[in-house]
Amino acid sequence: MAGISWHYVLKFIITGDAAVGKSSLLVRLTDQRFLANPDPTLGVEFGSKLITIPEENKIVKLQCWDTAGTESFRSITRSYYRGAAGCLLVYDVTSRQSFQNARSWLADVRAHADPHLTCILVGNKVDLCTDDAARRQVSTEEAELWAQEEGLLFVEASAKSGVNVEDAFERACRDILEKIRKGVFDDDRSPGVKLSKPANSSLALDQAKGGSGQCCGT
Amino acid sequence: MEFLSQTYVALRGPTGAPQTPLETVTRLSDRLSPATLLADRRAAVLSLKGIARSHKQIVGEHALPGLLDIIQNDAEVDPDIGRAALECVHTLCDTLDTQYNLRDLGFVHTDRILENERTIHKLLALLADQDYHIRQCSCVLLTTILHNRAQQAQVYFLKAPVGPGPVVALLEESGDVITRDALRLLAALIRQSTEIQKILAFDGVFEKLFNIVTREGGLDAREHVEDALKCVDTLLRFNTSNQSYLRETGLPSLLCSLLYFNPNVQPDEGVPQEFALQFWNDSKTKCAALVLEAIGMLLGSKGTGLREGYAFTRLLIEMALASNAPTRLKVQCLRLLPANAAAMLPDMILTPYMPVPETNGEEWDRLEAATGIDALLELIMHGEYNGLDATRRFKEGMDLRGTAVAVFENFLREDRVKEAIVSGMLPPENSGLHARSPVTPLLFGLILPPSSPLDRANVVSFQFAAVLFAHLIRHAPQCKALARAIMPPSLAPMPPSGAAPSGGAFFVPADGGQAPPAEAEPEDQDEPQTLLQLLTEHLSLSFLSRSRAGLSEREQRECDRVICSYLSLLSQWLWEDPKAVREFLEAGGLGVLVEQLNQPSEVDVVIPGLCAFVLGLCYEFNREPGEITRETIHPILTRLGVDVLVGRMNRVRDDERIKVVGPDFWVLPCPTPQALNPTFIPMYENETEVWFDWAFVDFWKSNNYTVQRGLVADPNSASSSTVQSGEESVLVASLRDIIAKQAAEIEALQAKLKELSASSSTAAAVTTSSFDEERKALEASLEAERTKRSEVEKEQEDLLVLLDELSSKRARDKAAMREKGMDVSEDEGDDDEEEEE
Ligand SMILES: Nc1nc2c(ncn2[C@@H]2O[C@H](COP(=O)(O)OP(=O)(O)OP(=O)(O)O)[C@@H](O)[C@H]2O)c(=O)[nH]1
Ligand SMILES: [Mg+2]
Repeated sequence: MAGISWHYVLKFIITGDAAVGKSSLLVRLTDQRFLANPDPTLGVEFGSKLITIPEENKIVKLQCWDTAGTESFRSITRSYYRGAAGCLLVYDVTSRQSFQNARSWLADVRAHADPHLTCILVGNKVDLCTDDAARRQVSTEEAELWAQEEGLLFVEASAKSGVNVEDAFERACRDILEKIRKGVFDDDRSPGVKLSKPANSSLALDQAKGGSGQCCGT
Repeated sequence: MEFLSQTYVALRGPTGAPQTPLETVTRLSDRLSPATLLADRRAAVLSLKGIARSHKQIVGEHALPGLLDIIQNDAEVDPDIGRAALECVHTLCDTLDTQYNLRDLGFVHTDRILENERTIHKLLALLADQDYHIRQCSCVLLTTILHNRAQQAQVYFLKAPVGPGPVVALLEESGDVITRDALRLLAALIRQSTEIQKILAFDGVFEKLFNIVTREGGLDAREHVEDALKCVDTLLRFNTSNQSYLRETGLPSLLCSLLYFNPNVQPDEGVPQEFALQFWNDSKTKCAALVLEAIGMLLGSKGTGLREGYAFTRLLIEMALASNAPTRLKVQCLRLLPANAAAMLPDMILTPYMPVPETNGEEWDRLEAATGIDALLELIMHGEYNGLDATRRFKEGMDLRGTAVAVFENFLREDRVKEAIVSGMLPPENSGLHARSPVTPLLFGLILPPSSPLDRANVVSFQFAAVLFAHLIRHAPQCKALARAIMPPSLAPMPPSGAAPSGGAFFVPADGGQAPPAEAEPEDQDEPQTLLQLLTEHLSLSFLSRSRAGLSEREQRECDRVICSYLSLLSQWLWEDPKAVREFLEAGGLGVLVEQLNQPSEVDVVIPGLCAFVLGLCYEFNREPGEITRETIHPILTRLGVDVLVGRMNRVRDDERIKVVGPDFWVLPCPTPQALNPTFIPMYENETEVWFDWAFVDFWKSNNYTVQRGLVADPNSASSSTVQSGEESVLVASLRDIIAKQAAEIEALQAKLKELSASSSTAAAVTTSSFDEERKALEASLEAERTKRSEVEKEQEDLLVLLDELSSKRARDKAAMREKGMDVSEDEGDDDEEEEE
């Protein structure tokens, strides 16, 4: 294996009401695309991305599980909270309801996840408010205040324009790396954080084990 | 001992009088209640366990709730009672009993357990219990429940508060029994549940499974590896989310290492013998097949930049073409190879191997290095290991060659590749009138004269050569034009210098068969024949040997096979190629076909049908001035009877040899169709045979109709109106259908109208007005049908005009493009042919 391709693997979940743009944020992060008509997520979908955190000189592999916001999947998606190191809690800035529901999503996360999990509150679809300020139903100040009260990071973003999307994930990563540095995570203890080993050495086969035929080359 | 005496008391009753089983079970069940002392409860459970199998129904009916409570409340406290309760419930749920009604009881009891999620959740928690036996018994019971009623149990699993963690953790435990049971549980759990598959991936199940594989010693291990890899397969198979997960981990490189392949192999690096030559046995083959499947799924999964992409592709090619892997693994490798990988073949240098005779596969000779594409062609033309076993026509070997053809077809995606290959079959330029083409292995396979008796290995080689060559020229006018200039050398005893086929191996079949017939062409040596003329002549020769008296049925079938290959190749070549048609007709092709159609076989429908097809096709495309014109052929068609010919063509459709062929299925069991002669016995067990490939069947299906329509056309009619692509003729046919249906409807309406007007006149006095109305309505609908019909007719006309315009525009465009030196795609007009495609 030529060197280590990443230092940490971090497991992320993305959660929040249906149609707030969770999948769109992930697709924006991994593929730099925006889909106007994505299908609602069934259960969960996986996506991943390498993120470099220059100050720490670290490469982080983000493993993201994008969960369904639809109520009927809630019991399934809960199973993912337990193993995550980071969480994007998403609401839609043009939907008051989705912001209010963020409380119950957060409660769910708190109930099931590792207590050291880093959570960032993401107000999505800000692009809709730049043209038409009247569409905004959740003010930046209000969301920021709530985030502070709850000890969440906060950012407003748009999967459509791409603004702040990578930033949201990066901020969460930085926070986790800092926790790691402070020894909050006892490396392998938290299931959401893994120190990378050179991919091959831990699992490589003892090459001598299998027999190979003789050969009398001609 | 206390327990024994307790049981005894329970069974006999305090008074010593014998009890019925019901009484015993009721009594024991009563003792399960928490009010009873733990020791007594334990004794009761053990007794119940002892009789659960023989009194499954009674125990289930009376004791199951109590047992479940014990699992719920006591198992963690007292492993003995827990284990006994788990085992007892397991017996009650067992559906592997031989007795039918007992089996049903297993389902009944399982349903009782699944009335709520309580027990499933408890069992999952117990998977992480301190006590080994509790873990193991819970695992086994869960597995049985999942086997009986997967769906409900899976729903409960997904909602379990402990989550999937304990299942994953169980896979980390060492010990044969627990590993086996954990893998069984996992397999039952992930069956048909994408959600469970995903959550387990999230919880690291892939890592744990591959740990088991490596821990046990890789593919050579005897235990657990196959089960673990089967789970990997299920987790990936229909789960794109898991595929993207796995491809992003470090695990894909392990898939290479498991097969002793370097995941970081560079294009200029060779592949170690350790990979190419391995000891293979049944279980290792099964495991390797699963690893290959995983590789195939990762290669096919969406997403970009799979790090192992090159290594995977290389591994598949190397294993298929240059290893001692079992043949069926090689087939699998070629099947899994992505379509675009074929382009790598010419630049890849491989070292094929051959088994040393009499060493039972233990010693291998390294052959000369060859490019991937040469090795592939060699495989198609001669079979695995240079045709070592080709006469047997065993299924895997034939499948391997058939799959290799598909890879070759992918290689030919671009017209320029085809053209380059056909150009390579031409005589060297400026080398005079008598210049001959170099003998490439492909050309050699094509021009082998039909010997008698036919050589089994050579027949198959010829068939594959015909299929390959057809791939080169089908719908490729440029290639057809080039191919007409191929001048095969005569197969004299001494091949012209420098013209030996590469490797020369084809001359000496490894089975010790004779060298190819040395006799030269019966023709005048000075007048070189074109390939097309030669093929025509060989077709005629084949018919001749087919008609010889005293052929065994086996020999007849061999002849038929060869004839079918000639006819299918010729039909694809002559299609839309008037120059080739003329050459074929003038080389005696017309006579051959007419003779066959004059006295067709009574039994076989395929050959007469194909002869009719080729004849019709010649008539259709005979557009070049020459000795034999359409006017010459027309009276022959009339004499043979156009209807008869059409009938013959249509009967081909129902023949098994055509009917069962699909895109990936053309190596057929021998004999196909079985019904042709029930007494026919193949020469070898599991022998297979090839008749037609899918490309031909597809070609034939889409053009059969056009040829049939061409048959009825007047000799002077231009071909422009008749030549349509398959799709177009299907479209026209369906429009015709609609018109015919509507005409019938109109007729029916008219008849009804007549009837009504007749009856209305007799009953005029009574309800004239109502009849009148009805009549009006009918007339209106008749009118509507009429306009509809004329619309459809118009539509069809417009469509045809449009098609015509389009085709001529396309021809013009392409001509213009070609003038500008642009690459022009296949399936358009011949270089000097002005009409449409
Ligand atoms: N204007 C705008 N539309 C967005 C943005 N993000 C998502 N959308 C749209 O919002 C709709 C829902 O997006 P999804 O990404 O499917 O939402 P989700 O949260 O994944 O929904 P579920 O999977 O059902 O939970 C889609 O029509 C998106 O195109 C954004 O940033 N701006
Ligand atoms: Mg979604």
